[in-house]
Amino acid sequence: MKLLATYRALLVAQLQQAAQYRIQALLWMLFAIIRPVIFLAAWAAVASTQGGSVGGFSVGDFTTYFVCLTLVTHLTMAWNSHEFEFEIRQGRLSPKLLRPLHPLHYSIVDNAVFKLTTILPLSAVLVGVVLTFGARFDTQPFHVLLFVPSVFLAAELAFMFTWLIATLAFWVTRMRTANTLFMRASFIFAGQIAPISLVPDWLQAISYALPFWYMLGAPTEILRGSTTLTSSLLIIGAQAVWLGLTYVAFTFAWRSGLRQYSAVGA
Amino acid sequence: MTAPVVSVRDLKKIYRVHERETGLGATFRSLVKRRYKDVPAVAGIDFGIEPGEVVGFLGPNGAGKTTTLKMLSGLLFPTGGEAQVLGHVPWRREDRFLRRMTLLMGNRTQLVWDIPAADSFLVLKEIYAIGDAQYKGTLDELTELLELAPLLHKPVRQLSLGERMKVEFAAGLLHRPEVVFLDEPTLGLDVSMQARIRTFIRELNRRSGATILLTSHYMDDIVALCRRVIVIHHGRILYDGALADLAERMAPYKLVGATLRGGARDLSAYGQVVSDVGGQVKIRVPRAQAAETTARLVRDLGESLADLSLEDPPIEEVIDRVFSGEQLDGTGGQRELAGVAR
Repeated sequence: MKLLATYRALLVAQLQQAAQYRIQALLWMLFAIIRPVIFLAAWAAVASTQGGSVGGFSVGDFTTYFVCLTLVTHLTMAWNSHEFEFEIRQGRLSPKLLRPLHPLHYSIVDNAVFKLTTILPLSAVLVGVVLTFGARFDTQPFHVLLFVPSVFLAAELAFMFTWLIATLAFWVTRMRTANTLFMRASFIFAGQIAPISLVPDWLQAISYALPFWYMLGAPTEILRGSTTLTSSLLIIGAQAVWLGLTYVAFTFAWRSGLRQYSAVGA
Repeated sequence: MTAPVVSVRDLKKIYRVHERETGLGATFRSLVKRRYKDVPAVAGIDFGIEPGEVVGFLGPNGAGKTTTLKMLSGLLFPTGGEAQVLGHVPWRREDRFLRRMTLLMGNRTQLVWDIPAADSFLVLKEIYAIGDAQYKGTLDELTELLELAPLLHKPVRQLSLGERMKVEFAAGLLHRPEVVFLDEPTLGLDVSMQARIRTFIRELNRRSGATILLTSHYMDDIVALCRRVIVIHHGRILYDGALADLAERMAPYKLVGATLRGGARDLSAYGQVVSDVGGQVKIRVPRAQAAETTARLVRDLGESLADLSLEDPPIEEVIDRVFSGEQLDGTGGQRELAGVAR
């Protein structure tokens, strides 16, 4: 109850803040759309030169995939690690540590506010893409039903994973490299370039074994209706396991990090 | 006897810092092998603070004051020793502890920059689970004491430094903390704002009975607020006791002021002349000989002595001597400071 009231108050404050930076939020949203749309255009071009499809994917299938991927990317976006490094270096973490609320909660609300305030314009853009390229959905009601927990788990996993990386800032001053590494790995293994079924078998195997695909590709595949009920449930199970592991690792890293924290500049 | 609100035993904090020599060769060597050095910021200190006390924590930059405050507020883990604040080990950072204390740093902001303070206060109200009635009562009181009314609804980024400090104070005190750690609360403020903040701190202590541990580089803050001071230097406590006794303990000399009729006169035979302006002479004499010297002056100068005073050296001077690691023995010579226990 108390946490809910705190969330409500934080939400109001963050919304007020977001209202002052509407253009910035809109631009961030557009940046997030550009990459998948470029990939969609590229794959559509390749498909049209190869008789209308690549590996069984028609232009419509690619459209569905990249529209779903854009939506999932938006809903699971997490950028906390960048801010956390800054907060530690500038001493801004200290005031948060002095309050009886874990600093994680501020980020959760900040994250949610960005998504809430940009979801409508994003949806409008996506509808435009669907109509322009002619998306083809195989989505069944159970897909929609299972997409909800899957995208939640993916968002939490991405959020906790970036926080896990962020805790490195307790030990090293500059951790941009770690973030870049995460983004590169996500680019390759999460299904950002192409649907996982189009990549070589060995890359598929690695992608299934690593956590990145479960942050993006997995809910995307469920939403576009390419999974069976069993495989959807298995995917959700794997997401839950990765989330659990990441959470435990984060808790451990956070506790050790705080012992290390030198509160410089604050 | 009441239990101390703050108790500290052999508290230590050692920072491990990366050390690198200058030059290209050293830069390359540091890529392969890093050298670290242990820097003791707090080297084993002991003290206790009773409920309702206002204690000044004095020391030069790098003495260990802020590090101690950060350990006592739970921001830093110590390297060794023990501390309890309100019966809690601070660095465990239990919610029950965090709800009962605050640390306010003069150069740091805890408010959201882009929204009015009143909105940040509402967030703090929920974080600290402050009831509606208590919130309203406290906010009204703080608004009155700090004259916040015109500031509450402006975005924080539009406030001046002094205005922002007042709002920061209110933010840190909304939950009515029993222990208040203040680190340089008047830093960078103009003289009149410093005076207002001082009045506020005194009033806060009087009204709420909060225990206050305060660091400041401005002696005026300390003199106005603290009867007791703890002097820390190189991570060790040099003095812990009444501010009034500090001069006696740390500066074993007094200043004799003589106002002379009929122009200047050489009084160097009585002690070290520190100033001589228009017949107003100040002489530094060893504390033990102060009474005898004044008697001699009265006897020797007779009618030509218009006025005579005997006073402790200014507190700033005493502190400056302490910080520079020296102590006058009354004749201009120096000797090592001895640790002074309370």
